[in-house]
Amino acid sequence: MERIELCGVVPEIFTLRGCLSSELWHNSVCFERGKSYLIHAASGTGKSSLCSFLYGQRGDYKGIIRFDGKDIGAFSTERWCEIRNLEISILFQDLRLFGELTAMENVWIKNSITNFKSREEIVALFEELGIGDKLDSRIDRMSYGQQQRVALIRALCQPYSFILLDEPISHLDDKNSDIMRDVILREAKAQGAGIIATSIGKHMNIDYDLCINL
Amino acid sequence: MHKSLNLIWKLLRKHISIFELAVFFIANLIGMTVILGGVQIYSDLRPVMTGESALIGSDYLVVTHPVERMGVSGKSFSKEDITELEAQEFISSVGAFSSSEFEVYGSIAFGGRKLSTMLFFESVPNSFLDIQPKEWEYAKGGSTIPIILPRNYLNLYNFGFSSTQQLPQITEDIIKRVELEITLRGNNLRGDYVGRVVGFSDRINTILVPQTFMDWANTEYGESGNQDATRLIIEVENPTDPELVAFLDANNYEVENKPSESSKAMFILKVCVAIVICIGVIFSILSIIILTLSIYLLLQKNITKLENLVLIGYTPQRVALPYNLLTLILNLSILIISIIIIVVGQGFYMGYISQLAGCELSSSPMVAIVVGVIFTTAIILFNFYIINRKIKEISRKQ
Repeated sequence: MERIELCGVVPEIFTLRGCLSSELWHNSVCFERGKSYLIHAASGTGKSSLCSFLYGQRGDYKGIIRFDGKDIGAFSTERWCEIRNLEISILFQDLRLFGELTAMENVWIKNSITNFKSREEIVALFEELGIGDKLDSRIDRMSYGQQQRVALIRALCQPYSFILLDEPISHLDDKNSDIMRDVILREAKAQGAGIIATSIGKHMNIDYDLCINL
Repeated sequence: MHKSLNLIWKLLRKHISIFELAVFFIANLIGMTVILGGVQIYSDLRPVMTGESALIGSDYLVVTHPVERMGVSGKSFSKEDITELEAQEFISSVGAFSSSEFEVYGSIAFGGRKLSTMLFFESVPNSFLDIQPKEWEYAKGGSTIPIILPRNYLNLYNFGFSSTQQLPQITEDIIKRVELEITLRGNNLRGDYVGRVVGFSDRINTILVPQTFMDWANTEYGESGNQDATRLIIEVENPTDPELVAFLDANNYEVENKPSESSKAMFILKVCVAIVICIGVIFSILSIIILTLSIYLLLQKNITKLENLVLIGYTPQRVALPYNLLTLILNLSILIISIIIIVVGQGFYMGYISQLAGCELSSSPMVAIVVGVIFTTAIILFNFYIINRKIKEISRKQ
């Protein structure tokens, strides 16, 4: 997938609001593969909604979203499964990890359907992100910052054209944020993928191609 | 490394209630066993009730006119009556009883006593006999008359007469070796013959001699010329056929070996089987409801996890797989266990039925297996449908 286009998109819930000053909602925006984007916003301006729309998780918006020119409103469940395995990866704001599984199992439950990375590559990512000792710890016994890094590793275990990062470093210190940035940039570059990150303040130090104020 | 299915299983089994599944398992096992048992017993009993060696009822009926008043000799069947009977679809063939038109005296010497009595003979065409002994031939003018006795005469003697008269009980083999002195008188002639019992009939309740002997003896000793038969034996496909019963009633014919008892027994058997199967079906339906509710509850409890699985790229089919496997394994185990129960049970009751029927009956649990496979397939498909619909619903909510 090369392009994501938004034409006059606005969450249904915002249509009731009178004046909405946004660089994205109601406007035409195009995300291109290989470039990086930062969507900067205050709470409640709909950045998680945007991620949900792009990931096919919600459809409660007005306007049109196109992937390579195709309206995503018509995509079937099967097509979305395909997209979620091959074209778009996401780091959810609420992580969506499985509390009763270990860190490694949480990654493997994804990798076992994509067979994208070897166990060694995954272990190396754990080490690199500073949670190498947490492989076999249950997710619900880990801190939110640690969980965030596990969720990132899971998101990296698939081929993708775009990676959506919904507040990826909200619970990380600067040092860990920089490590995470390096990993993301390296992995995305290896796939030639586009990066779409959101932030409510703290954001990764990347030379973004475009910053959009929501 | 872990297989994905193991991981999903680890993830989704958390809320599985062993208690709910156990209730379903037991209820459905009972239901399935009752249904299959009912069907199997019915199919095992049917041939005994209606078949060749029918325990109750028979394919041959003996038809007479009713006895109306004392002292009036019975009405006989005319040629037209017989033709009319033969014309009926439900009657395969009609045979007339010929009776001796001469006097018959029989005596037997045994135990130091000589028992002597007046007798009568009857005959029917050979094709209506239930046994065909090889000595059942009479050569014209021969001095030995083969005789077939009703088996219940022997029983009457053995269990009624001999025990009260201090006489020994006798077996069929002994009787077959005894020579009866038979004297025939009529048409101003007298002849001495040797009677020999060659077999015992369960079907025909009279003293039978071969048709060839009867025809010859009636011309030799008979006085009144050819008589119409007073008793007929008819072969029918189904003695409980309501059309047959209606026809016999309409003509005011009486049936000696009435099939009504057998048809009543058959009816009761059918009613019992229907009730048993109904109970089985109710059990099964209740158990399917329990399973369906359990699965629904399970899916509902796991709904966030299911959503997350779909969101990280799992197809609904893949998410449904562990649940489908669970119901598949449960239902197949139920089928296998209930068939084992049926096979073991069959071993017990077939012995009984064989004893009752007086012959070895072979039986296979094929009926139960076929019905069980059909039922189980239907239940499994229904469960799959419920599970997949629910998971599709969850996926589409995205």
